[in-house]
Amino acid sequence: MATYDLEEQEQLDEIKTWWKQHGNTVVGVVLAASLAVAGWQGWNWYQRNQSAQASAILSVLQRAVEAGDTQRVKAAAGELAEKFSSTPAAGLGALIAAKAAVDTGDLKTAHAQLAWVATNGHDEVRELARLRLATLLIDEKAFDEALRTLDGPVLEGFATRFAEVRGDVLMAQGKKAEAATAWRSALTSLDATDSGAKGRSTLQEQEANAPYRELLRLKLESTGEAVPAPVAAAPAKEAAR
Amino acid sequence: MFDAVRNNRKIVQIFLVLIALPFALWGVDSYVRGGSAGEDPASVGDSKITNQQFQQAWREQQDRMRQTLGANFKPEQMNTPEARMATLNALIDKRLLLVEANHSRLTVSDDALRDFIGRIPALQENGVFSNDRYESALRAQGMTQPQFEAQLRQDLTLQQLVGAVGDSGIVSKTSGDAILRVESEERLAGELRLPAAQYASQVSIDAAAIKKFYDENARLFQTPDQVRAEYVVLSLDALLAQAKVSDEDVKAWYEGHKDRYQSAEERRASHILLLDKDKDPAKTKAAAEALLKEVQQSPAKFADIARARSQDPGSAAKGGDLGFFGRGAMVKDFEEAAFKLKEGEISGIVKSDFGYHIIKVTAIRPGKQRSLEEVRPDIVAELKHQAASKRFAEAAEAFTNLVYEQPDSLKPAAERFGLKIETSGWMPKNAEPQQALGFGPLRDAKVQAALFSDDALKNKRNTEAVEIAPNTLLSARVVEHQAAAARPLESVKAQIEAHLKVREAAALAKKAGEARLAELQKGVAGDKANWGADKTFSRLQPLPAPPVVARAVLQAPVAKLPAYVGMTLDNGDYAIYRISKVSQPENVDEARRRAVARDYAAVVAQEDFAAYLASLRARTKVEINRKALDASER
Repeated sequence: MATYDLEEQEQLDEIKTWWKQHGNTVVGVVLAASLAVAGWQGWNWYQRNQSAQASAILSVLQRAVEAGDTQRVKAAAGELAEKFSSTPAAGLGALIAAKAAVDTGDLKTAHAQLAWVATNGHDEVRELARLRLATLLIDEKAFDEALRTLDGPVLEGFATRFAEVRGDVLMAQGKKAEAATAWRSALTSLDATDSGAKGRSTLQEQEANAPYRELLRLKLESTGEAVPAPVAAAPAKEAAR
Repeated sequence: MFDAVRNNRKIVQIFLVLIALPFALWGVDSYVRGGSAGEDPASVGDSKITNQQFQQAWREQQDRMRQTLGANFKPEQMNTPEARMATLNALIDKRLLLVEANHSRLTVSDDALRDFIGRIPALQENGVFSNDRYESALRAQGMTQPQFEAQLRQDLTLQQLVGAVGDSGIVSKTSGDAILRVESEERLAGELRLPAAQYASQVSIDAAAIKKFYDENARLFQTPDQVRAEYVVLSLDALLAQAKVSDEDVKAWYEGHKDRYQSAEERRASHILLLDKDKDPAKTKAAAEALLKEVQQSPAKFADIARARSQDPGSAAKGGDLGFFGRGAMVKDFEEAAFKLKEGEISGIVKSDFGYHIIKVTAIRPGKQRSLEEVRPDIVAELKHQAASKRFAEAAEAFTNLVYEQPDSLKPAAERFGLKIETSGWMPKNAEPQQALGFGPLRDAKVQAALFSDDALKNKRNTEAVEIAPNTLLSARVVEHQAAAARPLESVKAQIEAHLKVREAAALAKKAGEARLAELQKGVAGDKANWGADKTFSRLQPLPAPPVVARAVLQAPVAKLPAYVGMTLDNGDYAIYRISKVSQPENVDEARRRAVARDYAAVVAQEDFAAYLASLRARTKVEINRKALDASER
């Protein structure tokens, strides 16, 4: 056995006492940390696995829609909602399934799909579902429910569309003046996104938005209320020639 | 120095931990490429859009523009900060979608990927996926298989997200019908015109008003900064015209390059092919030999046998005929055999990569030497081009030096190279592209910049030689310069007066018109005015009036009829429209109804997607580095 000088002997003793005192704590902490990491990894793995499966079903669903296979669309959407309801793919799948249902005239299924996403979906997908659900409710003449669906906070970026659909509801109710107010605010909010916010090039954005702006103006015109002048008025030609 | 380490062990240990920590957490590479981070034009969340990615997108965008615009494509005009920003924004949008797809853990399985690749028509041979084609397509793209598949997987994942959001839009039937009603609504309206000319006599414009307008609009009454220039162009074409070629040279060239004026031998052949696809090659070979015997017995029936038995789908129907071909067109073994046969002769069994051939040569077109006289024009052109190119290389340098060393005149350069000095008309500074077309070769942006530089304007020096096109150099000098100046009031007085008169008269017409309109709307004035004939206004039909007018008529509130609406027209007249009837057409075309519904759904779907992107952008940290973007110019 190696021999230690006095100073080293002393240090060794110090370490031993320290270990006696704190050894259990250290082992415990290390163990807990390892468990936490393992648990985290496992959770991640589980999530990834779930998502991969959900994603695969989403592909199937999309292809079934392309092929017009109603039965398979329904089956895939049901599987997503039942087994993978926590994955983002489930929300996307329901949006697609709802559209497919509308196309085949099955408004009840569409309603159910969209209502599910509007309650259980997240972020943008949820907003899209709210908009589309309200749209369906107009045709069902459930105007109050439609307005309730549109009420509440809205993600930035969707303000224009929400105001537009609110106008649709009010117009269908015959409330022309209120519909006009809603559509006017939609136009204002569209202008606000145009005015170079977030570094977007104004000109381009306006060009891309032109058809939608036309649509909003047309809706506003249908109320018989005053329509604001177009933003880009022709520059007055003061030329002296 | 190790004593210091030993004595301060604690400090050194802490130090070591501090050094190791960043490596452990961020890895080494953040040190290695730390410097380039500032040059990325944008970052989206945690991922960066690198300068290289931006440049590639920019190039692709330019290529697309070049294809759509063709000759109208002017790269320097497209290279605006706005255009660069637009390209960057498109990249950011795509990246936002990718980040969201990753965040949503969307993936495309290996099976789906394989299935997709298998269904790409370009990679199929006879309707079946071909690995050879896949590999050669990859080579052509300069990509490895994992690279391509990763790229494709990304694209498909994106497609999954984009499809789910963008193709799932729903519109309400109620709103759609409402839109159709507005679009097809018809309004019957007649016009009452108050011409501005009618009020012109009431208008008098005094000198003070003219002076005021002149002062306030000085910009309009300026003559531009403009120059007249003379210039010489040294081009390959000019030298080509000067180049001379002697008969001896032509002859010598012909003798030296005889082989170039020889048309190669061509042969026409038919064949019968048995594909080598049986597992047992001997079997196919035996079948081929049997066939050969059959052919040898009745050579005249070669075409019939080929039609019935050949396994080459391209030629079998034509009795095995392959048409004329030269050397190098066919597989090597086939070629050797075909070029050995005499006309009409039938080969034995020839083995190639495809299988077993029986070949019959049906015609021979021997190679032929073309005579000197026949090819003289080609040779002369070729030699002239050679001489001119060679001379241009030397001349370009001499020309550049000459216009620089003798900056007071273009004559030396013109005389030395036998060029003509041309003179331009007046050219304003910063001319519109349309106007610049009239400047001839001087419209080049670099030439324009040089002509309006101090060196050319004040010192009257030649501009440097500018390459305005491949193999074309131009140098110019200012002959005459007119600085921007205000046109004197006297010379524009009449114009201003006329303009103001029209303006004032229009104001009077408007005032009268608005008063009239108010009366009409109140229903006070007995409606006996001289109304024009009623016309039908509808959004779905060609408009019977300028868009501004039609718009006003179609938008006017019509709770009460007749309704009135008034506006000033372009020429200053005031027009009042009386809307007497609003109606729906008796029957709306079914096709039209569907088209309106489709357009409505499309616009809404597009806006849904735009809102989706805007929302992603709003809650993701997107940083744009304008400096890097501007720096990446050129």
